[in-house]
Amino acid sequence: MLKHTLTALALATGLTATSLAAADYPEHNIQGIIQWGAGGATDNVARSLTPHVEEALGTKIILNNRPGGTGVIGMNAVMHKRPDGYTVLYGAENPQLYPIMGLADFTYADMQPINVIAQGLVMIAAPADSPFDSFQDLLDYAHQHPDELRMGDTGAGGLPSTLLAMINSVDSLKVRSVTFGGDGPGITAMLGDHIDFMPLSLAAAKEQIKAGRLKGLAVFTREPVDGLPNTPPITQALPDIAAYLPWGPFWAVAVRKDTPEAIVDTLSDAYAKGVANEQFQRFLSDNSAKSLNLQGAEAEQFLKRWQSVTAWALEKAGSAKVSPESVGIPKP
Amino acid sequence: MGDTLSFFLMSWLDPSLLILTAVGTLAGIYVGAIPGLSVTMATSILISFTFSWDVNDALALIVGIYTGGVYGGSRTAILLNIPGAPSSVATAFDGYPLAQQGEAGRAIGLSTVMSVIGGLLGTLVLASVSPFLADMALEFAPRDYFLIAALGLLLVGSLAAESLSRGIFAAALGAVIGLVGLDPVTADPRFTLGSMQLMGGIHYVVVMIGMFGVAEAFFQLHQLDTQPVRQKVDKILPSLSLVLKFLPLSIRTSLIGVIVGALPGTGGDIASLFAYDHAKRTVKKPSKPFGEGAYEGLVAPETANNAAVGGAYVPMLTLGMPGDAVTAIIIGALTIHGLNPGPMLMIETPYIFWFTVGNLVLANLFLLLFGLTGIKLFAKVVELPKAILIPLILVLCVVGTYSLNGSMTEVYWMLGFGLLGYFMKVFRFQMGPVILGVILGPLMDKSYRQAMASVGNDSAAFVSALFTHPLSLVLTLAVLFLLLGHSPLKRLLRREKAA
Repeated sequence: MLKHTLTALALATGLTATSLAAADYPEHNIQGIIQWGAGGATDNVARSLTPHVEEALGTKIILNNRPGGTGVIGMNAVMHKRPDGYTVLYGAENPQLYPIMGLADFTYADMQPINVIAQGLVMIAAPADSPFDSFQDLLDYAHQHPDELRMGDTGAGGLPSTLLAMINSVDSLKVRSVTFGGDGPGITAMLGDHIDFMPLSLAAAKEQIKAGRLKGLAVFTREPVDGLPNTPPITQALPDIAAYLPWGPFWAVAVRKDTPEAIVDTLSDAYAKGVANEQFQRFLSDNSAKSLNLQGAEAEQFLKRWQSVTAWALEKAGSAKVSPESVGIPKP
Repeated sequence: MGDTLSFFLMSWLDPSLLILTAVGTLAGIYVGAIPGLSVTMATSILISFTFSWDVNDALALIVGIYTGGVYGGSRTAILLNIPGAPSSVATAFDGYPLAQQGEAGRAIGLSTVMSVIGGLLGTLVLASVSPFLADMALEFAPRDYFLIAALGLLLVGSLAAESLSRGIFAAALGAVIGLVGLDPVTADPRFTLGSMQLMGGIHYVVVMIGMFGVAEAFFQLHQLDTQPVRQKVDKILPSLSLVLKFLPLSIRTSLIGVIVGALPGTGGDIASLFAYDHAKRTVKKPSKPFGEGAYEGLVAPETANNAAVGGAYVPMLTLGMPGDAVTAIIIGALTIHGLNPGPMLMIETPYIFWFTVGNLVLANLFLLLFGLTGIKLFAKVVELPKAILIPLILVLCVVGTYSLNGSMTEVYWMLGFGLLGYFMKVFRFQMGPVILGVILGPLMDKSYRQAMASVGNDSAAFVSALFTHPLSLVLTLAVLFLLLGHSPLKRLLRREKAA
């Protein structure tokens, strides 16, 4: 009996403490955990956005990079902190594919999304002296010479392999996948003609194309994009791929699932203001990313659709290690 | 030309940029000296601070931090046998023995002067032949990185002092530690024993701090009663004749540093090990035997790792591609500040190049100034009684490891490696080869698989590529030459000639 009373008492005080905490939130510095390394796209987004969020929240957000395991380490760290809104995750699109890559059994659905910040544009690039002028040329060549072209890859679950799977779910592109540590090393290899083409984020390839060291074969959209008017959209060569579009890597902020609602609201408001900030919007457009600024149900819907489209494309191309069906990802 | 000079002198003439470079250099020295607190981390933290600043202020500060930080790693390597950063591992080989002989002050003085010489030579190469060097770096195909990694692993012959087989064992252990984590190609967990914490792999700094710092601290418990050596602190600045004597060696090792630093896949850590090996091979009469306090063993890595700073800026400024982790962060910073790092950077913002060169020269001059101060005080650290020094080292190791990623798991691993390192020391294994393996194992794994994938997994095509491309042929011959040099075959041939 005494034990029960004590438990009830403890619970009551605990609850009062949390609701009180929610009212005063934020009382002290917030920890921001970035699931990718310093200098990468996710890191740049997080570090450009955070000062504007700090302004809206009136507190400091201390950023830390916890890279490793395709972001599993950083996300896992946040999921083991108290759900009090004092630890936020800055993540990329990868968590949505953890279950089908067999990396972890959690996704953004196991967290409370605060904001889906933006989506990056994707393109297929080749060295400037490549014999191919469009993706159609490359595809024709690959049909006649399967398993000959060298594609820059960033490993299972990375952007190039996902894109390749999407292409292979509507056509057949057989290549030699050469895996690099990221966009940067891949571009360097392409500048030295050590690979024939590579799917890249537009932000990473843009400057090289402008300088004439790389050329764009296709943008992964339905329409040509600003800044690259001469690069044809992928749908020109592969009309069927339109079903997956618009598609691209994205960045999001999330906290632990059981975070009190009042705190989630405070954070959502602050991040919405931060993303809308003019200076940050300029950063996004400079980096060829489309601002999304989604919260609540809208954010959850976006995350679900992205996961279902991507996971089933990977499954169709035979690149999923675990069937999306068996981990409860519905068909698009 | 007038523009070039005014860009070069920008930081020299602007008081606030001048002070920022100075502050950065000073801060870099002390941040770099603490193992675990790396230049990479310091730069990435600074980016957040400098977000609202003018981009030139941020760049000046970062150049200072970078230059000072690479040098700072040598302090703890010499004084405590704990390299402040992986690029100072080779500094500990002869620097620590010198400190044990009462020459800590001289060793620090020499390493300061040599770091500045290396840093200035690296900057000179950056200023004069950047576009050429960048194009050369692009020529390196995955198979060439594979050959560099192979060449690097053969350094085990230099690093393993008395027993080659122990050295090979240690390097193999290091390579296996380096392979822990997600497979870079398939994303399958390797050696993670089902633990999520291990999916990110084991950071090589964790291994380094454990094996050098903690293992050394435990080992010193054997000699608790021995009185620490009194440090000679009268002659800190190396004489001009000594500097001139080492000049040919330092020019050669600086070149090694700047080239290895300019390759986007390798950095100061590998450069300094190559340089140490080069010194060991070419200097026939060192001041003392290598590994027992040879000045040459200090000169080589210290010039190379600071020359690598200039090298790392080469691909960054000419191509917008990072030469190492720090320049990757600088590229990120430029992006956040609205500049477009890429091949057009030098055309769109032409001042950046000479501004950076000017900052590097300035930072190296500040390094000479700050690096030669406080040495007497630092040298006294070695004179501390063991009962104070050993706990101090352990605290430093724990704090340093924790600050790496804020992860207690890594602290436990670090202590585990410390214990392992202690027993390896007891059985006379060297620690250098372990670090060599941790750094080069993953590079070899990655580049071998890239090279094989590029030729469609055809072994015959892979082997023939090693001999048909001029660059690869040179590297292949170097590997074969080294391999034969280490093997009994060479002795057999010599004997036959004699007979």
